[in-house]
Amino acid sequence: MEGWDPSTKSSLTQIPLLSTRAGPRDGAQWTQRLKEEYRSLIAYTSMNKSNDNDWFRISAANPEGTRWTGSCWYVHNLRRYEFQLQFDIPVTYPATAPEIELPQLDGKTHKMYRGGKICLTVHFKPLWAKNCPRFGIAHALCLGLAPWLAAEVPVLVDSGMIKHKDDEASSAAAES
Amino acid sequence: MDAELLELQQQFESAQQAKSSVRLSERNVVELVHKLQELHFLDSDILHTVTGKEYITRDHLRHEIEAEIRKSGRVSLIDLSDAVGVDLYHVESQAQAVVVGDPGLAIVNGEIISDSYWDSAAEEIDEKLQECSQIALAELAAQLRVGSELVVSVVEPRLGKIIKGRLEGGQLYTPAYVSRICAMVRGAARGITVPTNLATVWNSLQQLLQDTDGANGVSVEGAFFQSQFNGLVKEGEVLGSLRAGVQWTPAVFAHAQRASVDSFFSQNSYISYDVLQKLAIPQPKQYLQSRYPEGIALDGVFVHPSMVEMLDAAIEDAIEHGNWIDSLSVLPTYVGPQDVSKILSLCPSVQREIKAAKAIVMGESCIFSNSYVKAMFDRVEKDMDTLSLSSLASQGQPIDLCSAHESKGRPAAASFSEMKEISDEGGSRKFVSEKSSKKKRGKSAKSGPTEDDTDNYESLPTKVKKNQRKSKDTNSLDASDMKSGSKKGLDKTKEDSLNIISEEWIAQRILALAPDLGDLGVEPEDPHALIRHLSNHLRPMLLDSWKKKRNTVLLENSERRRRLLDNLQKQLDEAVLDIQLYEKALDLFEDDPATSVILHKHLLKTMATPVVDKLISTLVIDNKLKNGVEVGENESPETASLSSADRISLSKSLPGSLSVKAQAVLDALEGKVVDTFMIALRAMTEESGLLLKKLDKKLERTLLHSYRKDLTAQVSSETDAVALLPKIVALLYLQFYNKALQAPGRAISAAASRLKNKLPDSTYKVLMDYHAATVTLLALQSAATGDEEDCTSDRILSKKEFLESKMPELKGLVLTSRSS
Repeated sequence: MEGWDPSTKSSLTQIPLLSTRAGPRDGAQWTQRLKEEYRSLIAYTSMNKSNDNDWFRISAANPEGTRWTGSCWYVHNLRRYEFQLQFDIPVTYPATAPEIELPQLDGKTHKMYRGGKICLTVHFKPLWAKNCPRFGIAHALCLGLAPWLAAEVPVLVDSGMIKHKDDEASSAAAES
Repeated sequence: MDAELLELQQQFESAQQAKSSVRLSERNVVELVHKLQELHFLDSDILHTVTGKEYITRDHLRHEIEAEIRKSGRVSLIDLSDAVGVDLYHVESQAQAVVVGDPGLAIVNGEIISDSYWDSAAEEIDEKLQECSQIALAELAAQLRVGSELVVSVVEPRLGKIIKGRLEGGQLYTPAYVSRICAMVRGAARGITVPTNLATVWNSLQQLLQDTDGANGVSVEGAFFQSQFNGLVKEGEVLGSLRAGVQWTPAVFAHAQRASVDSFFSQNSYISYDVLQKLAIPQPKQYLQSRYPEGIALDGVFVHPSMVEMLDAAIEDAIEHGNWIDSLSVLPTYVGPQDVSKILSLCPSVQREIKAAKAIVMGESCIFSNSYVKAMFDRVEKDMDTLSLSSLASQGQPIDLCSAHESKGRPAAASFSEMKEISDEGGSRKFVSEKSSKKKRGKSAKSGPTEDDTDNYESLPTKVKKNQRKSKDTNSLDASDMKSGSKKGLDKTKEDSLNIISEEWIAQRILALAPDLGDLGVEPEDPHALIRHLSNHLRPMLLDSWKKKRNTVLLENSERRRRLLDNLQKQLDEAVLDIQLYEKALDLFEDDPATSVILHKHLLKTMATPVVDKLISTLVIDNKLKNGVEVGENESPETASLSSADRISLSKSLPGSLSVKAQAVLDALEGKVVDTFMIALRAMTEESGLLLKKLDKKLERTLLHSYRKDLTAQVSSETDAVALLPKIVALLYLQFYNKALQAPGRAISAAASRLKNKLPDSTYKVLMDYHAATVTLLALQSAATGDEEDCTSDRILSKKEFLESKMPELKGLVLTSRSS
């Protein structure tokens, strides 16, 4: 687990681990898995809140719980940059990690696959494989998206690839 | 969709909707508080913890402190500051305030301790004390981690209340324990019967305690024993006296000591300090003096006055009876020599007698009465006579004396007899030649041995002296010229004899006379010390008397020598004159050598030999006298009849040149010529300082006259026919030649024939007939000595008758011829 920053590591250890190995096609097993996913997400969210470190909102977009949508944000130079967030649970889940997409940033950075799927670090994939089926959505967010945001957003902001919505409004106003 | 999943969805929703808590950084908070203080929204005195992460008010701090104290009742300020997390300074100031506010608290060495803590500690102590029966305060102090003084201050007020025990010398004891120890001490103290160092007793008690209590036994300090012991002594439970705080002398021991000293002293009326030392009385002298003020303290012993009285009586008795006494024999053996003199100085009789010169103290302890010393002196003096004289006799042979007195340690009788023997031996050795000569002379030789037997140990020289005294009237010669020589000899011998009367000799004599003296040596290493003292005392007196005696002897000797020599001279004169007279007659026969030789020989034999004997023996005696030897008086020189061998040996005993001369005389005596003898004799007499008178005419005439008268008287009274003939012949020679002839029988015929032409024929015939008859008679007599029956006896008888008939004729012949 080396290579992760200490705060990430501490929060990761506090996220409850999952136990059911089941994918979206496993029926009741999947429901069981989904419950565990919710529990771990609740724990992670409440933890983030108590640490004053709340950074995302997600919810299941379909009743089966195979597609999730929401938003995430990052504070840089006292400005909050917010992005839309979406991902599907793959059928091979939990052996395969979900591919988290940030559609707004598609094409703005090369650390991203087509369709806005973020390019996860080399550390993430083996770790996930090793901890299958104990890792769930909460872990993917914590270990995948959070570090990516912390690494990419400041670069994108500084390079001017993304602009704060206030700036966009002002620039639009200025353009208009 | 089951309900649970929905529920979870909603929960997750609400969780996401919940307001996230806001967090401030510490720095921000600190600054905020600071700001608030600046703005006086808070009280000014807010403290913060050591970590700096908490703020605390003083009241709260005080509460916390009080809570901490309440927990255990005892809290260290440093611990408190750690526990509260507030700086020590604030804790101290607040603790101070707390303690001031509560009388039950106290700050001791940086600790806050409540009374209740002490109470509980005291209870603990009591519990432990009841368990162990004894606890050291130091142990408690270490356990409680407080100073022992504090422990004392805490324990003391609680003694008897919470702590049931007793504090003694830094130790806590239970009463039971104290009484046990007390009992032990009492037992030990009562058991002790000899003076003891208490520390050793305590050590053994401690050992005992440890043994009985086992390994966990508590150690008891000697001081505790001591205090118990002191208590017991004070209460009179044990009796005795304590010296220097540690040396305990039980009363029973002191009592026994006193009793034994009392009994010994009353029984023996003395007591040695050694005895007291053995009884462990450290200062015997003072002890005894304080106990028996009437006693006499000496250096080594303490005596009762009765002892002195006893000694005094014994000494007085000894002095009265003219005896001697060794005080040591009367006094107990403990009395040393220095003490004896002290005691003697206390004896009234000794002092009185010494003052009155009736007694002498010798060798510190021995007392001799003067009469005893005097008697001893007399006897030794008597002995000394024998010594001095024999020593003179044996000049140059002092070894004899030494051997004679070698018999020291023998019993008296044996040593006497032996000494006598030896001295006799020595004496006889010296006088052996003389004795033998005496025997030959036959006269005085007898008296020697008889006296030897009767006289016990007045050895030989004494009687010799006596003998000499007898003979002194017989021998006298003028010896005035010899006196100086004898004086010299006296001086010389005196020096020798001073050495001879040595202390050793006197000591030996004393030992021989009183052997009991030798047994009582004052000093054990020198058993003869007493005798030595006595001999030292006697020696000057003895020497004095010896000198005196010696002088008288020497004087006597010189007197006797003078007389002896006078006598000798007189006799010598007569004899020599006679010889000279007869010598003249020999001139007549010079033409007849045969007769002359016979006559010479006869003269030498008959006349000269006695002269020489007399001379030599007198000179020998004289020589002895000169040397101070006592000479027997029975050795009368006129009686001397010596053989030639005796003569030679005597002459050899004469001193040097005289001896040579004497031998020359003896040679001449054996010769045939009277002249040579006379010359030798003259030389010898000159050497010995005598004179030989020369014959002069006048003297010759008177001598011849007296000789003739004598001869005539003899002839007229002569009855023996044979003896008449030589006298007749001599008388005839005197008548016709006026010469005195001494002729032996063999020379008679020659002598008679020479008268032929002088006498008338008839007379001559008568003479010759007589002569012939005499010769035949003698021949017959010499032949007849065997058988009586022979006719020779008849012939002898007839011849005798014939001669006797002729005698008057012959006598008439001579007598008439003289008268005509």
